[in-house]
Amino acid sequence: MAMHPEGRTVALVTGAAQGIGRATALRLSADGMLVVVNDRKPSEELDRIVEECGGIPAIADVSDPHAVEEMVSRIEAEAGPVGVLVSNAAYMAMGPFLEQSEDEWWAQIRTNLCGTFHLIRSVLPGMRRLGRGKIVIVSSEWGVTGWPNATAYAASKAGLISLGKTLGRELAPEGIFVNVVAPGVTDTPQLECDARDAGIPVEEMRERYAAESPIRRIGKPEEIAATISFLASSRSDPFVGQVLQPNGGTTRCWA
Amino acid sequence: MSSHGEPLKVAMVTGAASGIGAAVSALLSEHGWRVAGVDLRKPASDLALIADVTDRDALREAVDSISRELGPIDLLVTVAGYYEMVPVAEITAQRWWRMLEVHLGGTRNACAAVLPEMLRRNSGQIITISSELALGGGDGDAHYAAAKGAIIGFTKSLAVEVAGKGVRVNSVAPGPTDTPLLEADSPWRDPGFLGTLPLRRLVRPEEVAEAVLFLAEEGSYFCGQVISPNAGAVI
Repeated sequence: MAMHPEGRTVALVTGAAQGIGRATALRLSADGMLVVVNDRKPSEELDRIVEECGGIPAIADVSDPHAVEEMVSRIEAEAGPVGVLVSNAAYMAMGPFLEQSEDEWWAQIRTNLCGTFHLIRSVLPGMRRLGRGKIVIVSSEWGVTGWPNATAYAASKAGLISLGKTLGRELAPEGIFVNVVAPGVTDTPQLECDARDAGIPVEEMRERYAAESPIRRIGKPEEIAATISFLASSRSDPFVGQVLQPNGGTTRCWA
Repeated sequence: MSSHGEPLKVAMVTGAASGIGAAVSALLSEHGWRVAGVDLRKPASDLALIADVTDRDALREAVDSISRELGPIDLLVTVAGYYEMVPVAEITAQRWWRMLEVHLGGTRNACAAVLPEMLRRNSGQIITISSELALGGGDGDAHYAAAKGAIIGFTKSLAVEVAGKGVRVNSVAPGPTDTPLLEADSPWRDPGFLGTLPLRRLVRPEEVAEAVLFLAEEGSYFCGQVISPNAGAVI
């Protein structure tokens, strides 16, 4: 298998400046991969994670197909074909169904669902050249269960599950594996948005979510990253189009 | 103690003498676990115990001797089982009962034997082995799929029952796996069938073991989940 000159698999992680993406970049770097750290715009946070994981920065808004194509071309020129794609970048705006504007609806679909579509289309030729690839799509527990006031987000995340299942079937015969992670509530900056929406302090939000979970706590970004690391490695080869749900047992909908 | 000076963790594996159980035992050993294997014939484990999983008392005794010899059990993996394809009209009452007794009863017995100590210590983990056939069904698999499906319902319920007490319960549902359970002329080995699998081959027992190891060592946020290394047989 052709690899990066240093022999390391090139892993592209989108939305990696913070939260699950950030933890994943660190984990894949520790796993020995050369990590390309994507975010929508330059930031100190992005610089920090690039430095911490010894990776390469790559700016692109995943909802823009041309920006994604250009980014992947640059990565291929600089580091070689992408062997592992973690499509994690996401956008969420909550609100009652009829009160969400059409723009808000499409913004979420464009980033979450179409963004992943653009990414996979751009990295796939390179994976075919490698003769192998691992694609991990980050969906959400809400893509499985649905959630009040999150119609667009849940629809986009459910769409990602079907995309992952279908491409899992379509690409496995070529040795390119597509699977999905649908995390439950995780301790990321998103928690601050949830707290703001609920009009409560973030600590109370954390406690509320923990109380609703069978395991009585919320997840850590590192736990989701460990699942992504598993699906990005050959340890998971018999997993094809599967949806893994690290969520503390909350899909029972205890809320 | 391990080379890092941490106390070694103790795992109990049922059905450890062959196939997936043997692969799970070997991989856990390789990763520094002390493994007690339980089977009808002697497994190649750190501690080998002969017991029938349908015998509640025998399992309780096995757990006692594991705790004595290796220390308290941190992880239980319930693999013990068997496979047969029988058209539904030919499943006799005896075949039906035997299938449930070994798979569902055996899983229940093993869990009941390890849980008191896990709950006392507020720590522990159980991984049951179900099957892709419980998710997708199969021609000639009614009693096997029913028994394996029951294990999934059991796993999910036990998971939420003990989750708040420090014990995690999850299930691995393997697809068609290259073990002695599949005879040489099994339809699961037919190239025509394998060609329908997105992976185009059977799952290897070592790969099922990797999924078990992942849940055991890195699945700390998984609770009541079923993960299925199944070659794409059920998506």
